[in-house]
Amino acid sequence: MDSASNGIQEPFDLIRLSLSERVFVKLRGDRELTGVLHAYDGHMNLILSDVEETIMIVDQVEGVSEGHTTVNIAKRKMEMLFVRGDGVILVSPPSRG
Amino acid sequence: MDESTPPPPPAAPAEPSPPPPPSTFGSPTDFLKCSGQTRRGILSCLDGYMNIAMEQTEEHVNGRVTNSYGDTFIRGNNVLYISAAEPL
Repeated sequence: MDSASNGIQEPFDLIRLSLSERVFVKLRGDRELTGVLHAYDGHMNLILSDVEETIMIVDQVEGVSEGHTTVNIAKRKMEMLFVRGDGVILVSPPSRG
Repeated sequence: MDESTPPPPPAAPAEPSPPPPPSTFGSPTDFLKCSGQTRRGILSCLDGYMNIAMEQTEEHVNGRVTNSYGDTFIRGNNVLYISAAEPL
């Protein structure tokens, strides 16, 4: 199987192979992070450094049918960040060729 | 009319060996996140928490692809279901 050749036997192996790499993290509440992964645990609590957070703020236009929304994007940078695991939806490591 | 012969044995399966158990590993897999977003990709592995490792992941919202990633780890609490994108 392909996953065996990658050395991935369980999902956390994917995270282990991403340590010290820049990862993309999708969080609850329409937030996304990119940063360098330093540590993680079984809850998916994460320590990231050199982090950029992207917050999607969706404003529904009053009285207009669904689909008429404006999306504002806020960004901020942080040197070091602890992410509580229960907010994590998805972690994507850098693509390795 | 004494048809006492036992019924014929069940027909031998067409394949020489039984097919492998149904598995979505290595095949395109759909799964739905709670909010109605779907992620589709190739399932690499999963664990007891339903944490998932996926390859060639695409994020679908309202039928449109909104994001695509190479490999992804998905935290199990977000998983609503896992299904094969194509019939097994």
